[in-house]
Amino acid sequence: MSVLQLRDVSVTYHRKHLPDVTAVAGVSLTLERGQILGLVGESGCGKSTLGRAASGLLAPSSGDVLFEGTPVTPLGRKPRPDRERRIQMVFQDPNSSLNGRRKVGDQIADGLELAQSMPSKERKGRVNELLETVGLDARAADRYPHEFSGGQRQRICIARALSADPSVIIADEPISALDASAQAQIANLLHDLAKRLDVGLLFISHDLAIVRHIADVVTVMYLGKVAEFGPTPEVWSEPLHPYSDALIGAVLHADGSAEMPEALPGEVPDPADPPSGCRFQTRCPAVMDRCRTEEPPLEPVPGDEGARHVACWLLHE
Amino acid sequence: MSALPQTATERVLTVDRLTIDLPSKGAPIRVVDGVDLRVDQGQVLGIAGESGSGKTMTALALLGLLPPGAVTGGRTDFLGKELLQLTTKQWRATRGDEIGVVFQDPMTALHPMLSIERQLTEHVRRHLDLSRHDARDKAVELLRRVQLPDPVGSLRSYPHQFSGGMRQRIAIAVALACDPQLLIADEPTTALDVTVQAGVLRLLKELCESIGLAVIVVTHDLGVMSTVADDLSVFYAGRIVESGPTRQLLQGPRHPYTRGLLDSLPHPERPDQPLVPIDGAPATPANRPSGCALHPRCAWAEPSCSQQEPELVMVAPGRLSACPVDPFDGGER
Repeated sequence: MSVLQLRDVSVTYHRKHLPDVTAVAGVSLTLERGQILGLVGESGCGKSTLGRAASGLLAPSSGDVLFEGTPVTPLGRKPRPDRERRIQMVFQDPNSSLNGRRKVGDQIADGLELAQSMPSKERKGRVNELLETVGLDARAADRYPHEFSGGQRQRICIARALSADPSVIIADEPISALDASAQAQIANLLHDLAKRLDVGLLFISHDLAIVRHIADVVTVMYLGKVAEFGPTPEVWSEPLHPYSDALIGAVLHADGSAEMPEALPGEVPDPADPPSGCRFQTRCPAVMDRCRTEEPPLEPVPGDEGARHVACWLLHE
Repeated sequence: MSALPQTATERVLTVDRLTIDLPSKGAPIRVVDGVDLRVDQGQVLGIAGESGSGKTMTALALLGLLPPGAVTGGRTDFLGKELLQLTTKQWRATRGDEIGVVFQDPMTALHPMLSIERQLTEHVRRHLDLSRHDARDKAVELLRRVQLPDPVGSLRSYPHQFSGGMRQRIAIAVALACDPQLLIADEPTTALDVTVQAGVLRLLKELCESIGLAVIVVTHDLGVMSTVADDLSVFYAGRIVESGPTRQLLQGPRHPYTRGLLDSLPHPERPDQPLVPIDGAPATPANRPSGCALHPRCAWAEPSCSQQEPELVMVAPGRLSACPVDPFDGGER
């Protein structure tokens, strides 16, 4: 059984005096334990909204979010079932997601308190273990967040997520706010933890080069929908959707070659008023008449044993 | 890479032994320590570094925007002008006129309540003393130059009506309004999507070549440097550890720090190669390690590195490095 399953999830934001925005318009995905799923796309494509819906921070407008086979209770007035603490999040900015006035050890122990199974006198030892798991010294427990660098603070956030003994971690741009050398450290750490502790990792990022490195499978989103899904190496070596192709082609390489990638023409359309037909048709270099009127379904790629899915009429040409 | 011959007349900016001390509770903290920079007409100089490396402070010093109480040392020569000695009043005539600036976030750089026309013409009328009508023509020309679709129609729009990439183009238009000789761009594409980033970088590069603008790009992103910068200076803990032509520097880094930065990035052709981060966290100016500031994190460190600060010396024509070892000998990138 998949540890996390999203079935046709949509999230609509209601705005005063303005039309509703459907940030996520029917997305399905599955995440297995020990698997790293990279969720990529431009800003405004709905990837963060999807991450929040997957963790229960937002209630989907339609569709189901299943955690270990049972629907996730969205955050609300009622307490969430205890087992849902095993879905954890790591956010972009460790400065704002840690409490600056509480000791690091106490913040990590919160997750242990939730788990309740641990006698309070054993907690200190477990906190120290968790700090070491994320590559920090056990003495960090008695210090405050401001005493650490950005990368170390993100390690503390990861330790806090691990304290609740998660089977899913949703990491929303976990390395974007960090220094260059810390980015690789945190990416490697998340990768190793997912594999070693058998945790499903939903890795949301706009940094495609890092996703290529750590994700087993990748989902490319455009304007609230999945454009392409498949095993990372295959999507990279042969992107089938013109949008994935453009995204991957826009990655800059620090190889000194001075190569300037082609910019994708136009802009992401207003999600409150998506284009007719295929959502990418206004910017697509391979647009056909059919794309302007009919929306292509997300379909398995023939001859690929169902591993890859693409939503593009080119597949039918 | 520079197409122009390097003669004294085309040098736009020279910075010699720049130091910046910021006040703190105790002794002042030296955040920039002995930095030399050269920028020529039509050239892009890249300043790379992590947080706390002094790259942004250096840029702010060249804009007269250092925080109150900051003390500078060293010399600068911007077309014959000593920037470090300018008064507030002299800065007002220089910044935005002879030196343009583009910041990371175009939403905060533009005034949200003023039309694009107002933001462009106010600037032009103040600095160039143009009539309302001429200023409007100039605004349209500027928007055309930054390749904004529908320049005339855009004048009546407000910043929120544009996407991030278009806003950054408008911010560049504002920076170019008074035909500056030098443009300082601090993380100009960091807030933008990858698909838009390329367009803005291409624009910067084209402007630099077509109007002979000298550009300083400050960013931590070596991928950006690789596409736009002719020359590159790598900062660590307030000093330059390596500088040289971008292509040579990225293809054969000579300083262990540059090598470490490159190893921590995904390799374009070998995606299965693991990322090798530099251990530890960047040194901060407030607790700068003794000797070479990198030594606690350096794989090539020797006992003497903790005592002696290595000088930035020429290691090849046009290449400077502040480390006697050549990490490129140890393996290839």
